Parts: sequence; C-alpha cells; structure tokens
Amino acid sequence: MDSQEDKQTILVVDDAPLNITLLSNILSAAHKVKAATSGEKAIEIALREPQPDLILLDIVMPGMSGYEVCEQLKRDPATAAIPVIFITAKTTTKDEQHGLELGAVDYITKPISPAIVKARVQTQLALKKNMEDLQGAYAVIEKQKDRMQQELIVGRDIQLAMVPKVFPVSDDYSLHAVLEPCREVGGDFYDAFIIDEEHICFSVGDVSGKGVPAALFMAMSKTLIKSRASSDLSTASIVTHVNDELSKNNEGCLFVTLFVCIFNVRTGELLTTNAGHNPPYLKHADGSITTLSARDGMVVAAMEGIAYTENRLQLNKGDTLLLYTDGITEADNINQEFFGDDRLEKLFLEHHFESMEELTSHIVETTHAFEGMNRQADDITVLAFHYAGQKSAVERDFEIEIGNDLQAIERVTEQFMEFARKNDIEPKAITPVCMALDDLLANIISYGYVDDSHHLISIKVSLVRDSVVVVITDDGLPFNPFTREGPDTGLSLEEREIGGLGILLVKNVIDETYYKRHVDKNVITLVKKLTL
Amino acid sequence: METAFTTIDNCLVVVPETRLDTNNSPEVAEKITEKIEAGERQVIFDFNKTDYISSAGLRVILVVAKLLKPAEGKMALCNANDQILEVLEISGFHSIVKYFDNLDAAKEFVSG
Repeated sequence: MDSQEDKQTILVVDDAPLNITLLSNILSAAHKVKAATSGEKAIEIALREPQPDLILLDIVMPGMSGYEVCEQLKRDPATAAIPVIFITAKTTTKDEQHGLELGAVDYITKPISPAIVKARVQTQLALKKNMEDLQGAYAVIEKQKDRMQQELIVGRDIQLAMVPKVFPVSDDYSLHAVLEPCREVGGDFYDAFIIDEEHICFSVGDVSGKGVPAALFMAMSKTLIKSRASSDLSTASIVTHVNDELSKNNEGCLFVTLFVCIFNVRTGELLTTNAGHNPPYLKHADGSITTLSARDGMVVAAMEGIAYTENRLQLNKGDTLLLYTDGITEADNINQEFFGDDRLEKLFLEHHFESMEELTSHIVETTHAFEGMNRQADDITVLAFHYAGQKSAVERDFEIEIGNDLQAIERVTEQFMEFARKNDIEPKAITPVCMALDDLLANIISYGYVDDSHHLISIKVSLVRDSVVVVITDDGLPFNPFTREGPDTGLSLEEREIGGLGILLVKNVIDETYYKRHVDKNVITLVKKLTL
Repeated sequence: METAFTTIDNCLVVVPETRLDTNNSPEVAEKITEKIEAGERQVIFDFNKTDYISSAGLRVILVVAKLLKPAEGKMALCNANDQILEVLEISGFHSIVKYFDNLDAAKEFVSG
C-alpha cells in the first residue's frame, strides 16, 4: 500500500465548505486532500512546497473567480505545470470551452458523480505522474550527455597538451607539425624531439577509438616512444618495444598506427618504421616526389611479439618529408568525395612553400576548404620535415668489427690510416684519431668485460664535409669514460700513477666526445674537425 | 718496422716505430726494462720516426722514468713532432721529463 507520503496531493478550491467536505470524502481514501475557500488562498497554497499535484477549482467564488485563479496559475511558471480541473455549476458549452482555453485539463459539472470525479482525477494524476517520470528520465539523459561531452573535452585537452608546440630546429633542418582535433576527439598525435647531439626523433600516430581512453592510449604510445628512443636508436627496435608494452593489458583492444623516424643530423641518414600508417611523401630538391611505401609491420598494440623492421634512407640537401594521418586523405566533401592520396600528393607537388609551418597550415586549410564548414570528421595531423643539409651527407665511410683482443686494435688504426690516405685527410687530424682509437679501444678491451667470452666491438668512421666522425659501439659494462676524472698532471714523478691518461688525451685532441648507453651497448662518438 | 735500440756513447737510444701505442708499448717497455736491469743508466727516446704516441706510450716513458730515478739514471726525449709535444704537455709529462730538440742535446744532458 502507498504510504501517506507517497500519495498525490489534491487541492480543492470552493467557497462552500460543504462542497469541500463532499469532495474530500470522495478523494481522501486514495489521496491527500488540501482545501482553500478562496482563489487568493488557493494560489498561496499552490505556490507552497510541497505543491499540489492537481487542483479542483470552483469557478463562481467571491473575490477572485476560478477563471482568474486558473489564468494566474498558468501564467506563473512555478505553478503552470499543475493540472487544473474545473468543478462548477456553470454548465454551458461556452463556459466549458472558456475554462479549457484558460489551460484547464478537464471540466466537471455539478452535480457531481463521485465515480466520475474519482475516475477523471485518477486520469489526470496518472498523466501528471507519467509526465514527471519522463521529465526525470530526460534530465538523466541530459546529464549523461553532458558527462560524455565533458569526457570528450577532457580527452581533447589531454591530446593537445601532449603534443609539443616548439620544434627542434638547426641550420641543417626545420620541422613543423599541426594537430587539429575534430569535435569528438580521435586520438591523433605527433612528436618531435632531440635524442642527442646527433639524432632527432619525430613521429606521427593515430589511435583507434575516441574520448578519454583513446587520449590516454595516445599519451602512453607517445611516452613509450620517447623513453625508448633515449637509449635505442633503431626505429624497428623502438616500435617492437612499444608494441610489446601496449599489447599487454590492452583490454580495450585499442590500437595505434605509427610512423617513427630517427634522423641523423650529421650524416643526413633517415631511419623509418611504418606500423600500419599512411605512407609519407618525400619531395626532392628537383620537385619530384617519392612515396615511402615500405611497410614494416602491422598496427601497434594488436599483438605481442611482432618484430618490426626499419628502412634506411639517405636524405639529400633540400629534401622535404611529409607525414600525415588519414584525417587528411579521408576528409570528405558534401558530395561524399574523399580528399584522397592523389589530391594530397598533387598539393605537395605543386605548392611552393616558404617554410614547414607554411606548408603544414596550407595543407590543413586546403583540407578544410575541401570538406566545407564545420564538417571535420576526424583529427587532422600533418608533420613536415625539411633537410637543408648545411653539412653535406656522408661522403665516405667504413665500418670494422674486432674482437676484445688488444692485438686487434692495430687493425683498426691501420684501416683508418688507409682510409685517411685515400680520402686526403690532413695528417694533423689523422694522429689524434689514431690515438683516440688506441686509447678508447684499449680501455674497453682491458676493463669493459667481466667474463672471458668473446665480444665484438664495432667501429664506424664517416667522413662528412668538415669532420671525421668515429662511432665505437661495445657490449661491455656500462661505462662513460668521459665522466671519469683525469689524473692530476701536476704531480711529481714519484707521485704519478702509471695509466689513467688515455681519456685525458682523447678529450684534448678530439673536438667533440659523446657517450650514450643504448639499451645494452656503450656508444662513444668522436668528432674531429678538419681545417678546410 | 720495429722499435730500434742502439747504444751510442754509453746512452741507450730508443727510436720507436711510427706509433707507440697499445699494440707495441708493452714490448718496448719490457725491452728497456731488461736493459736498465742489465745496467743502462742513460736513456733517450728519439721520436724522429714516430707519428704519435697514445697513453700506452706515455706509460712506457713513465715506467722508464720511475726505474731510473732510484738508480740515479737520466732520461731525455727528443725530436718529437707537434702532435707528440702536445700529448706531453696535456699529460703534464713535460714537467717531469726533459725534452730536447735534437739527439745531441739530449745526449749531452743524460751524459752530464
């Protein structure tokens, strides 16, 4: 049974107390009944909480008439929703019509039949209840909608906060990227950062899905790439690692397409890995365009344990690389035509850009113009990289591998001398490099290994226009020789220790020395400048 | 080319090959040590054939200097190219080992 509180309240308005008693008797079994003996009182009660669910209103009363009361109730938003039923002795059709026109839901003429009053009151109260339920449901829906909207906005904020707005730049290269999220976030991203003195990394990705989950997945992808790149200069290895990490605990079954590049600033060499992403374009100084169509593995995060591959590409002076997401090529216009690869390629081919910033914004604007106002359906991302090549690319190089045997060092210095002779490297630059090779390799071989096994040390020597670059890679104990404090060279003969001088010499005769731990390898880079 | 050891006017003159580095330094150090133990007290490193020395080469010089000191022997370096002079300076060796522009001056010093 309904408790007293759950019963709906009916306000009976009549100047004759007898009529109030009569109606009250009919209704009080199933409803709460309030009473008012004048129109003024009725309005006062109708405004007071808890408001009545239904008003039974007499028309002919001293003071305010029932018509006037109804009119006022309907005019005031606070009471307009309360249904009104006239109960009156005015029986003409015209009276009834007038009452209904004023906003009453029903019109009952006296003398009344208790059963009819009950039935009609029931009907109106049920209607009101239904209306309230509907309004409640609608409010819940509205609230839910707001929350979803909010979530999308949060997702977009995360997305935009994650991508850099300042880009690495030097005399040798320039780079710019634009990300325009659509109204409902789509999970695109780009990144560009300096790894070390020699390498920069840039990438573009597109996460499947929308909203906060996609944005968080994008944030994870981007962070994983960046942290791995700091100790791993292979794009294949980076993407393989990122894939393994993201594939674990990927309950949402999201995935991401990636195009990751590592560019060697000194040599102009570009390393790329494409994991299910749109093939970028490379525009050469002569204006021709190549599509980088190599595929290095499936989309990332779909399956653990995939070994991705990578491609090596020598960029030449004036080359421009264009990375993008499908938000560009799959943008459609009102005729349902796609922007498409051909249009993008043609645009890139024909547009004479002033800068990477100008190029990227031109592409975004052209895409917008194509799809028409406010129709963007997916995130749009464009990243453009230009190699100005102030330092020319590697002219000549050689690579040699030796075992961890002191006797083998001579092979390296011999081969370097041979290389230096062939390439007319000035003698002044040859001996410092030989010395450095001798000292560093002797160090690695003597102190770098704790086991007795055979280890390989790789030495790569490149000749670029104004310097000789030597990269020594070994799998010995992590050790940065350049942070070691040198011996005190001011000591007397008795106090001097034998040894420990090598690194001091290297640092003095070589112009630039770098050390980096790359996953499980030590990588030492030496740069000896040539006087031209 | 091998490192040459000749005794002129009671001085042991060591003429290292093109390079004095990790590869050949231990052998050179060993040979000079033997000769000092056999009584040599005046040692000259003549670098007229040497392109460069690495820290392994410096180590040889230091070993010899330390052996001669208690035996009241004398040591000198001569005929070094700019590269080697730079290395001697960087390492601070120019303050503990005497250097001369030519062999005669070096000989005069160690015999004195």
